[in-house]
Amino acid sequence: MKINRLLLSVLFIAAPAALFGQALDPALLLQPPTSAWPTYNGDYSGRRFSPLTQINQSNVKHLTLAWVYRAAAGMTGGAIVGGEGPEPGPGGGVAAGPFGGTTIKATPLMVNGILYFSTPDNAWAVDARSGRELWHYFWKTRGGIHIGNRGMGMYGNWLFFETPDNYLVSLDARTGKERWHVEIADVKQEYFSTPAPIIVGNHVIVGTGGDSLDVPGFLEAHDPETGAIQWKWWTEPLKKGDPGSETWPDEYSMRHGGGMTWIPGTYDPELHLYYIGTGNPNPVETGRGREGDNLWTCSIVALNVDTGKLVWYYQVSPHDTHDWDAAETPVLIDGEFNGRPRKLLAQASRNGYFFLLDRTNGEHLVTAPLIETLNWSKGLNAKGQPIGDPEKESTVDGVLVSPASGGATNWPPPSFDPETGLFYVNTSESFSVFYLTDTDPHPEGYAAAERSAGSYGNTLRAIDYKTGKTVWKHHYPNMAGFGGMSGMLTTAGKLLFTGDNAQHLLAYDPADGKILWHAGLTANVSNGPITYMLDGQQYLVVGAGDSLYAFTLEP
Amino acid sequence: MSKDALIYGAALALFLGTVAHVAGQAPSRADRSAPAAPGKAAPRRGGGGGGRGYPEYDQAAVERGQRVFVASCGFCHGANAKGGEGGPDLLRSVVVLDDDEGEKIGPVILNGRLDKGMPKFPMTQEQISDIATFLHQRIKDAALRGTYRILNIVTGDPKAGEAYFNGAGKCNSCHSPTGDLKGIGSKYDPVTLQGKFLMPRGGRGRFGPAEPESDRAAVRVTVTLPSGQSFSGKLDRIDDFNVALTTAGGEYHSFTRRGDVPKVEIHDPLQAHLDMLTKYTNADMHNLTAYLVTLK
Repeated sequence: MKINRLLLSVLFIAAPAALFGQALDPALLLQPPTSAWPTYNGDYSGRRFSPLTQINQSNVKHLTLAWVYRAAAGMTGGAIVGGEGPEPGPGGGVAAGPFGGTTIKATPLMVNGILYFSTPDNAWAVDARSGRELWHYFWKTRGGIHIGNRGMGMYGNWLFFETPDNYLVSLDARTGKERWHVEIADVKQEYFSTPAPIIVGNHVIVGTGGDSLDVPGFLEAHDPETGAIQWKWWTEPLKKGDPGSETWPDEYSMRHGGGMTWIPGTYDPELHLYYIGTGNPNPVETGRGREGDNLWTCSIVALNVDTGKLVWYYQVSPHDTHDWDAAETPVLIDGEFNGRPRKLLAQASRNGYFFLLDRTNGEHLVTAPLIETLNWSKGLNAKGQPIGDPEKESTVDGVLVSPASGGATNWPPPSFDPETGLFYVNTSESFSVFYLTDTDPHPEGYAAAERSAGSYGNTLRAIDYKTGKTVWKHHYPNMAGFGGMSGMLTTAGKLLFTGDNAQHLLAYDPADGKILWHAGLTANVSNGPITYMLDGQQYLVVGAGDSLYAFTLEP
Repeated sequence: MSKDALIYGAALALFLGTVAHVAGQAPSRADRSAPAAPGKAAPRRGGGGGGRGYPEYDQAAVERGQRVFVASCGFCHGANAKGGEGGPDLLRSVVVLDDDEGEKIGPVILNGRLDKGMPKFPMTQEQISDIATFLHQRIKDAALRGTYRILNIVTGDPKAGEAYFNGAGKCNSCHSPTGDLKGIGSKYDPVTLQGKFLMPRGGRGRFGPAEPESDRAAVRVTVTLPSGQSFSGKLDRIDDFNVALTTAGGEYHSFTRRGDVPKVEIHDPLQAHLDMLTKYTNADMHNLTAYLVTLK
């Protein structure tokens, strides 16, 4: 009944959309990706599993380079220019410094033969068959941390992306011309925005980031036509007495409690629930001044997609003190658990644990450590939440903690392959010393300094979702390379695609981790790979540094 | 600013607060130098926190601003501006955060917020600008975590550290306080020294500069071909598909890897340091640091 109504509404919307050459048919968002990659994770589930089989185990060795597109960011000659900031100085607006240059962290969209992707302040349309640029949009920034951008969202002919200075910008996909922009957060409060907007129905769902000055996080929905705000959900209670406020000492702490929403969420159309992981509480690396569990930071939450109202939550790190966002993709799995089919949700979390929940109600099912070096917890409580070891909270003279603040895993998207039943993620087995630097009763910002203390390296893991146990793993031999920051893609061709920390794109057998193919690129894979069919030919597209690489089989 | 300075400032504020209210004047400004020019520097993007364009503030203005602030504002807002008797935390105030050079703070100072119990303060534009500069410097200090100063980490017991060095830590199986570690406590500051024994290789990541690797710490590798011929030297690179080394004679050799062929044996002289990362207690780490610091 419910599904029928859903299908009807989809058909109704789909008909007019099909009249346009480039517009996205929203029905594509509800099925596993084949002829399009229409949203950040390919579909709403976050599985990053493609049913395509043209490229498969028997022929993957014959993959060949179809094209390379090198993105020239900044105020280039042909760029369409927008934005509220000043004219860029020398360098044309390409940020210098530690986050300088161009790194494609975005997962491109592919709709009707055109790829759409973004980096901080920049957006492009590229012909998915040939790698030729169709347009480039450049945004003059007012500031904000330019660390990354996860991509775009699409509704009909309209594209949406967020900027480091916290604007939601809408472009016409056909021309790259700006339709409108609206400010979603204040850059002077150190908010900066990296997520890819997710489109559900007529909601453009956007989040934000920013840990430097103790500001509260939120998620909000905007109208795709006008940009007007539809709803806003704060990641903390707003006043004493509100649900969750019992987990904070006072209003002052919860109003400055962090909890950023910087990785796109997932969606179950049957339950009508939008799932997102929230970031760490503030101040970041000390719990002083915010005693309590600090809801709803470091939590997986389910929101009613039409109202933004909280339906359930599960906090994976109560009272986090190590910058371990629980923002990582909440992956929706329809699978068997304890002998019956369940609607499940899995997260490989930055704090070093794998979690499995029932996504209808948030019931906890599994918690299991992701990495062997994890040393900050004294075990699990009755709800399956890790119990933080007070000995591992930052002190003036320093504490040695694994994982480092970057976490066992981070934003790079994982994948779930329904055919193997395995969840794939790259992990980091790192250590850091956390030194408390702000000893005030009301500390500010990070409040602690961190120094890396070495690492056991990076490991690709295949995890049984039913137990959280690593079924197979591949430890990358390259110990010198910082990395393990590549996303995952699985396909029905019985292939797992990801990058190592030595500038290779690899195809593995998802069942046992055997390497089946690799290609050397000019940088580490810096996003989640995608795949699509065009003109009867399957393409694999991956971002590495400033370039997109497309692979295919010779027909 | 150190904790002690903050406490001293708070006491001063309690003393001066009433005086300033009565006089309505700030301390002498005879030492005024060139005016600050906040908001003019190029935006700083990322790197240790902070995406806002924080300029280099005129430190004389910061100090003047602090004096005026402590005297006139500190009683209610705290000498460190983080809130006090009735006044809110100004470092988290949206009015202050949105301000660039006093244009938003000024009207609040001059007009007060009578409904919230804040009186008017008839200050000059220079005083307002100085207070704004002081507040922005404090915000910058909080936002830029790359600039956070690590405090005293030498809190351990050097005797216990020495016992650990020669006992459970087995440091003495490779190192000697009168040999390779002689004078190490003078060569490095304590934080660097601690980083050196935790992981001697390279920089300390995250905001720390990478250092060139010494030959002694270099990873060694032996590659043996199916023919039995073998090559040994310093490891230049290894991944799943390639291994490369430089021999003692300076020759570079690169080999394609196919699974277990050729045979690759790696020796990391720092493996013991890596293994120790899962074994140290906080006390071990602090005691060992305290001991090494004494090796002057």
